[in-house]
Amino acid sequence: MAPRGANLAAEASTEVGSFRDPDSRVLVTADGVFRVLSEEGLADWNALVASRLWREVQQDGSVVASEPADLDALPAGLVRGAAAALRHARVPFVSYPYEWTFSMLQDAALLQLGLNRRALEADLTLKDASSYNVQWIGARPVFVDVGSFERLREGEPWAGYRQFCMLYLYPLMLQAYKDLPFHALLRGAIDGIPPHDARAVLSSWRDRLRRGVFANVVLHARLEARYADVAGREVKREMRQAGFGKALLDTNLHKLEKLVRSLRWRAGETAWTGYGEHNTYDGEAAGRKARFVREAAARRPRGMTWDVGCNDGTYARIAAEAADHVVALDADHATVDALYRALREEGRTDILPLVVDVTDPSPGLGWRGLERAPLERRGTPDLTLCLALVHHVTITGNLPVREFVGWLASLDSALVVEFPDRSDPMVQRLLSGKPDGANPDYDKAGFEAALAARFQIDRTEPVSQTRTLYEARLRV
Amino acid sequence: MNLLAYLDPGTGSMLVQLLVGGVAAAGVVAKLYWDRLLRLLRIRKDKPELSEPEPER
Repeated sequence: MAPRGANLAAEASTEVGSFRDPDSRVLVTADGVFRVLSEEGLADWNALVASRLWREVQQDGSVVASEPADLDALPAGLVRGAAAALRHARVPFVSYPYEWTFSMLQDAALLQLGLNRRALEADLTLKDASSYNVQWIGARPVFVDVGSFERLREGEPWAGYRQFCMLYLYPLMLQAYKDLPFHALLRGAIDGIPPHDARAVLSSWRDRLRRGVFANVVLHARLEARYADVAGREVKREMRQAGFGKALLDTNLHKLEKLVRSLRWRAGETAWTGYGEHNTYDGEAAGRKARFVREAAARRPRGMTWDVGCNDGTYARIAAEAADHVVALDADHATVDALYRALREEGRTDILPLVVDVTDPSPGLGWRGLERAPLERRGTPDLTLCLALVHHVTITGNLPVREFVGWLASLDSALVVEFPDRSDPMVQRLLSGKPDGANPDYDKAGFEAALAARFQIDRTEPVSQTRTLYEARLRV
Repeated sequence: MNLLAYLDPGTGSMLVQLLVGGVAAAGVVAKLYWDRLLRLLRIRKDKPELSEPEPER
């Protein structure tokens, strides 16, 4: 979907991630995000807008705001043979399932299934079931692939079932049943986890008895292997003749809804958020830090803020007071999941929590590495918060201080950064497992020199005996 | 007419949808296998059905 940031939209191009569906392609131009429809795609769109469903999903915000657009206003070379065009609202920041938390993927799955069931009532269906079709406005999921709605062909099984399993159900099951994080698996394969692979992990007898595993994983893997050489069209016809139809489709979707809803990731639920770092602060120091962040954010024009290493989101929330959108990044899945659930309860649409390890951020994936963009290619912040993070990245992650500051500078934004010196209890703890003199570049003078080389430091304030806050702008 | 969706649903994945359906799908499964049985016993011919077009939508 729509990447934010003028630099990305400067050149009109077909969004590579959308080329798989020939009836509905996405174009990003300087004017916005467009969807170009074939004759088939247009017929499906017409059926969709004529339905009550369309008015409902536009009103409740579950499908991205979309309207007809002028085909002739789009670059001729990119719309050859097209029948019509739509214009979509932009989402504040594009994110991918391997950056979401368990609860986010679960909510996206329920949105996907719920929309499909509502579509059936209007004699429509969703032609696929990719988790990449969901984006976020803060903690609210939005279905962005309007081109996925198509007229129902009575008697056909759900074409998206396999994709639903690979990109939603199996990742959720592996996290819930095996406490196996799904991020690396989804990041490793753009199509998700195949039935065979899910079967290989959910292999014990106990696993087979877990809810949904026998049919959706074990049988699915077996039937897929056994019928690999059988033509799908033949089976489709047989199923139709045997009476497979809308009612059964709805039953299946409803069963999947109940299954997805029943999945629980216990580690995430019991995780204590706001770990150690907060304990190193007394109330007064925390108050000073909050004030510093609040003042720095208020000084900037409203825009996009990234909170890198957001922890429980305390400072993301403060930054949100003076920003249109905040992307809150942290490597700890359980912590971010708790933050998401809190934001969801509050109905927040201005803070997007994501699981991202900045020492190993999301790369480009898929065909030519272009189908899914690297994190920084999807937009950059106007203000970056980097609190209680430098020591983790440089001491635990062994990244040179200068290198990390260079990355912060590459974000091309203003910066609020916290530096705990070597005597800080948390720094001591991180260094305790290392030989004496490890990470010699980690000291206050060295950090300040590295920072000053790239940034103009506007304000410095000691926040505790061992920690200092810096507010800085990029040198031009 | 769109004969083939851009996404191949996968033959095994189609069949498993009958099994996921549980009780609600039992009738369909029974009919599916009954039809296959009849064809196997040559009580019903399957050749002419091959040319049957996909339904108009």
